[in-house]
Amino acid sequence: MALSNEQYNALASELDDIKQQVQAQLGEADARYIRRVLLLQRISAISGRILLVLGFITPWLWGLGVLLLALGKILDNMEIGHNVLHGQYDWMNDPLLHSRRYEWDIACESGSWQRTHNVEHHSYTNIIGKDRDFGYGLLRLSNDFRWRLRNLWQGGTYLLLSMLFQWGVSYHELAGQRVFFGKKKNDRQTQVSDTELKKAFFVKGARQLIKDYLFFPLIAGPMWLWVLCGNLLANLIRNLWTSTVIFCGHFTKEVYAFKAADCENESRGHWYYRQMLGSSNFTGPTWLHILTGHLSCQIEHHLFPDIPARHYPKMAKQVQAIAAKYGIPYNTGSFLRQYSTVFWRIMRYSLPGGKSAVKAL
Amino acid sequence: MLGNQASVRLYLLPLLQAIWPGFLPGQYRARLMSASWQTPDMVLLRFNVSSRWPGFVPGQHLLLTLTHNGRNLSRPFSICSPLSLWQATGQIELCCKVSQSGSFTPLLASLKSNSVVNISAAQGDFSWQQPAMPALFIAAGSGITPIASMLLSQRHWLAPATLYYRVRGTENAALLQRLQQLAAQQPLFTLHLSDSRFEHSDVFTRQIGTAANNKQLYLCGPSAFMQQLSTALVQAGVAKGDIFQEQFGPALPVLAGGDNSGQHQVALQHAAGNKVFTASANLSLLQSAEQQGVNPRFGCRIGVCFQCVCDKVSGQVRDIRSGALSGHGSEQIQLCISQPVTDLVLKQ
Repeated sequence: MALSNEQYNALASELDDIKQQVQAQLGEADARYIRRVLLLQRISAISGRILLVLGFITPWLWGLGVLLLALGKILDNMEIGHNVLHGQYDWMNDPLLHSRRYEWDIACESGSWQRTHNVEHHSYTNIIGKDRDFGYGLLRLSNDFRWRLRNLWQGGTYLLLSMLFQWGVSYHELAGQRVFFGKKKNDRQTQVSDTELKKAFFVKGARQLIKDYLFFPLIAGPMWLWVLCGNLLANLIRNLWTSTVIFCGHFTKEVYAFKAADCENESRGHWYYRQMLGSSNFTGPTWLHILTGHLSCQIEHHLFPDIPARHYPKMAKQVQAIAAKYGIPYNTGSFLRQYSTVFWRIMRYSLPGGKSAVKAL
Repeated sequence: MLGNQASVRLYLLPLLQAIWPGFLPGQYRARLMSASWQTPDMVLLRFNVSSRWPGFVPGQHLLLTLTHNGRNLSRPFSICSPLSLWQATGQIELCCKVSQSGSFTPLLASLKSNSVVNISAAQGDFSWQQPAMPALFIAAGSGITPIASMLLSQRHWLAPATLYYRVRGTENAALLQRLQQLAAQQPLFTLHLSDSRFEHSDVFTRQIGTAANNKQLYLCGPSAFMQQLSTALVQAGVAKGDIFQEQFGPALPVLAGGDNSGQHQVALQHAAGNKVFTASANLSLLQSAEQQGVNPRFGCRIGVCFQCVCDKVSGQVRDIRSGALSGHGSEQIQLCISQPVTDLVLKQ
């Protein structure tokens, strides 16, 4: 055990204090901020779609349209969707920005994502066998997983997953529940039947496909191919970006994983401790933080998932000081440095052997 | 579908709000024209309402939504002005009791002239059912508001109506002047003022009991007052079907029978069917629900994942983590970290 019980309790109360300080300040400024981001998102998505059609004037306009549409999708998924679905803005009692009502521009239905991401991933972060986000059942990211032949080409698998990331996210729950393939696990508990899972998957997926690849190309008339390709490209950019950001949050070099047995009946302090070890940050300017939905502050996000994300960079300084005080590793670095270690990890563990990521607790 | 939201209007909401700050879908704009104090703690607010607002039946209430510090807060208020005012000028009046310790009404009292709030369509079924039958109106305190609207709206009087208005001192009788004026003009209307400082509640109840014969009864006032009075009236032989009442103000934590053992009734309106369960004051709502076989959606059970968020329609809860008390109005709560303080109506 790395810390004593007293230390875990002290850690929990210090982190709770930081949370309460921010919670007490929530108000007008946060509401104004998220509405501004929403406005920017709507303007970029709508103008992007219009510019795709205006590509007949000059292809440059089409190119700008692709970028704006991609920006719209990224803002919708990251700073707005991800954070709203975490309940960060539930206190506003807003008809749009509420975790039970918001639906995002991505293939994954919001309810399914809340179950796999908010419940599974956020409660059991990096616990081997419980948090399937550690490698998504596709990639071998440490020597805690047996090497299989298919890991040899996991560099390619990773590239494919990144390009189709929204579909990976959307299929994640169905894969976990073995809806289509594999033997059902006896110990898995589910509140949602396979039929409902399939329905959510197909309905939301079909809506996204119809919208981007049928409806908008059709209303563009002769420009249909431009619009179709533009939408495809915008989705691709968004997929690559979200995948890259998310991989940097949990698969960097110095990130730790845990054994399920070590986490049974854990205290709040222990949970906090595990969140800090299992996540990693990267640094950058404000616009970069916004484009990542502040997942650049993955550690703070995992400690305080329901605090509006714009507060994370400020909280990060306090959290880092606390980490230093208790001697807990605080994993941060530049975007490029963090990403290169992710890439190294994927490549290294495509071959047999290597080190275990498990931290003995 | 195109914007991934339930409606195009919801998708365009950020743009609409950029043009009209504070715009809320499904709500109507109301501009505050004037505010005046009726009594030391009741303020009369006159609003100019949007021409889209569908109107009201006298006796109905509406939800008024204020945006304060980034939060949308809503409370129900009865309309107290006559129908003719709205028909002639597009204005309505609300008479609101301001509780200085509350989180909502002080904001309402400090609204500046010309500020814009959102109101819902009028709702509720408390209205004068059969104006051709003799009727007895009983109002206590701020319970006068819907009843004043009913009486002041009446154009063709067909049968006698009597109002028993119970207040703590005449200086606390809101809308009294208008009602006195009506009594002076309309021979079929009688006004009795009962001052609770001098007239004991037993005397008052007995008075009502004798006057209630063969009349329709309309009751509005604090929960405890109404409970006590309607029980007494039923015992005195008044048919239950002749008593119409409007639940007014916050539900009281102490219920019929006067016990406070920490058990509260929770009505859960669910897409799959409505359920009722008894919630214990020292368990989370989620635990109580599950113990009785009601299974709301849940997730992490520690307030992190927001799977169990419910719309609270009415009632008060306590946040287990911080001990903070919620308001009485509609808002969202997480079942796993909320304990009941009063009876609740929830929607999931």
